[in-house]
Amino acid sequence: MLKNSRDNRSPTGADKPGAAGAQASGARAASAQASPVGRARRVLERGESLIALGGLGTAVVLLAVMGASAWWTLTQQGRTQEAARTEQFKTVGAMLGKAAEGLLASGEVEGLAKMLAGAAQTYGLEKCAVRLPDGSAIAEARSGLGPTPVAELPEAWNTGGSPAEAGGMEIAAQPGGGLKLTEKLWVPRRGPVTLEMIDQDPARILTQLQWRTHAGLGAIGAAGLTGVLLLYRRMRSRLRALGAIGEALSAVQAGESSPEALRISQDLGPAASAWNKLLAEREQLREKAIVERAAEELSTRRGADSEVASACDALWQGVMLIDDQMRVRYANGAAGVLLQAKREEMTQGGGRDVAKFVREAQVLDTIKSVVSGAVKQRTVVEVERNGEQGGGTIRVSVRPLRREDCGRALVVIEDVTQQKVADAARNSFVAQATHELRTPLTNMRLYIDSLIEESDEDPVKRATALNVISQEARRLERIVGDMLSVAEIEAGQLKLQEGDVRLGALFEELQADFQEQARQKEITLRLDLSPKLPVIRGDRDKIVMAIHNLVGNAVKYTPAGGEVIVRAFEAGGEVAVEVKDNGIGIKPEEQEKIFDKFYRARDKRIANITGTGLGLALAREVARLHGGDISLESQVDRGSTFTLHLPARAPASGAVGSGGRAAA
Amino acid sequence: MEIVEQRQGAVTVVRPRGPLVLDDAEVFKSRLGEVMTRSLGRFVVDMSEVPYLDSRGLEVLKETTDELLDGGRSLRLCAANETVREVLDVTDLAESFEFFADATSAVRSFL
Repeated sequence: MLKNSRDNRSPTGADKPGAAGAQASGARAASAQASPVGRARRVLERGESLIALGGLGTAVVLLAVMGASAWWTLTQQGRTQEAARTEQFKTVGAMLGKAAEGLLASGEVEGLAKMLAGAAQTYGLEKCAVRLPDGSAIAEARSGLGPTPVAELPEAWNTGGSPAEAGGMEIAAQPGGGLKLTEKLWVPRRGPVTLEMIDQDPARILTQLQWRTHAGLGAIGAAGLTGVLLLYRRMRSRLRALGAIGEALSAVQAGESSPEALRISQDLGPAASAWNKLLAEREQLREKAIVERAAEELSTRRGADSEVASACDALWQGVMLIDDQMRVRYANGAAGVLLQAKREEMTQGGGRDVAKFVREAQVLDTIKSVVSGAVKQRTVVEVERNGEQGGGTIRVSVRPLRREDCGRALVVIEDVTQQKVADAARNSFVAQATHELRTPLTNMRLYIDSLIEESDEDPVKRATALNVISQEARRLERIVGDMLSVAEIEAGQLKLQEGDVRLGALFEELQADFQEQARQKEITLRLDLSPKLPVIRGDRDKIVMAIHNLVGNAVKYTPAGGEVIVRAFEAGGEVAVEVKDNGIGIKPEEQEKIFDKFYRARDKRIANITGTGLGLALAREVARLHGGDISLESQVDRGSTFTLHLPARAPASGAVGSGGRAAA
Repeated sequence: MEIVEQRQGAVTVVRPRGPLVLDDAEVFKSRLGEVMTRSLGRFVVDMSEVPYLDSRGLEVLKETTDELLDGGRSLRLCAANETVREVLDVTDLAESFEFFADATSAVRSFL
């Protein structure tokens, strides 16, 4: 159907596609040559309509049939009329003959002439005459003329004929058309006459009649055709548009969906415009749907990517992906932090060389061996870094991205500095604690052995031994207590058992505890206490432990001949306990570190002095738990002053403070 | 503004003394930046001596934690008093930080 439509294409300008269609068809002409879709496209764009052509053809055929029918009807009518006319001609001739015989018998020539004139007029005869045998006319009449009188009728002109010859009628066609009737009459007692009638040319009459009829029909036909043409002209574009739309719909049904193929020429009027607009809107909706779907898919994918990226960025460990060219293809935020680089810079331009960011040769070698496929399992290296690189220790774990894929390596970087420090401190603590525990145990065992072996020892020695055992047991108890407290701090469970703390009584016990130790070390221990020390709110045992640790350290690290002064006073809403010695002092860089757990100052002079490295950490913790702190002023070789600050909170029981007293 | 730095193991404890307001907040910000770079993010801010803070102080804390968040870290605050906690809660910023009761537990969190 589409092919026929193309073959019927009119070359006229009216059938050319519209401007838009022309451009489109020009651009697609080459590709549209062969395919059926291309042909259909051209036809549709041209906007030709079979319905329009069919309508016009039907109108022409109908008009032709009408004309032929009219012509045939007229021809038949003409023949019928001609036969009737001949019959009428004969009847008139017979009638006139009878009448003429009678009139001539009575000699009424004038009456005959009038009758002939009347007959010629009435029947439209060209000529009507009664003649004698010699050819002379007795009476004659012509159409449109009056009667021609004859002077005299002869009495008799018998020329030898007889009445039997009368009554013969002849009709002959005239050479120029028309009929001629000749009838022989017999006038009684006179002789034969001839009636001659010439009819007007029937063909001419008929031709005139037909001409008028044909002219009328032609005029009607022309008017009809003009009307049809005008109507066609008026309806043509609409019909063509409807036809084109119909064909487009057929194409859609056949599976065509391209808007270019379905578009029709704009020249076809509003229906075509509306159709094209519908197509454009459909295309827009389709494109919009595609764009929306694509956007949705993209956003889903991006969402997934960004979720993965966010998850990687939330990792504490640095993560890098290294390709076979040793380029950084991906780095998370932590990798940037740990390598002290901007990660955008690391992955810039498809990835920069990892050696620009990882300076440790050991790590680079490991990455290289994994990337090259030489090593296929996870490899972990730990490297110490210098101060420029942020110091500390990093643990780098390198493994192939996939076991079968050697080209890329996944690098995970962890900052294990704090773990390393903690491990070192614990190791040190275990060594120190073992030593600390063993010393009092050894002393105790020695004295107990001597007591067992020398049971008859004098009471003084026995008392001394028991005293030493008691002291060592208390020392052991303190060490174990410190360790437990540290464990509590570590577990975040160090709690205060708050109550009223009478500082005066507390210092009395302190003095009793350290006096002997100071004496043995030949150190002067002096307590310089405010005359009226308050009763504060706090955990007595913990405060005792804190002060004990401060004074114990002072005694421990002050050489023989030195002096330890303990002052306690209330000032500015707090109670300060100052422990001042003139011992070895502490280096400025170590003044903060000594409050760390397990930390012991790196000083050769104290190498032989045992300690867990927990005392000051615990003391500060206790002070802070009470809302106070410990401050330190120290100079190497001049001595140190530790000050415990405790808020002077009013006791719940309203107890009255007790006075302190100085002791040597 | 006085800012005390203290090392506990491999962790730096930064303790500003006084309210985090106006120019002091700027000083604190630049100091935090230095510590952040130097310690590779191994630091905590001890808020025990910060009685209150203003909007600039809040911004400094928020900017710092945002910077740390990009590297998989967050700002660890310890011993923040009730006023400071309330300000952070009211401004919906509390979720951006990790809070610890004291410096010791904050330092332990690096293990």
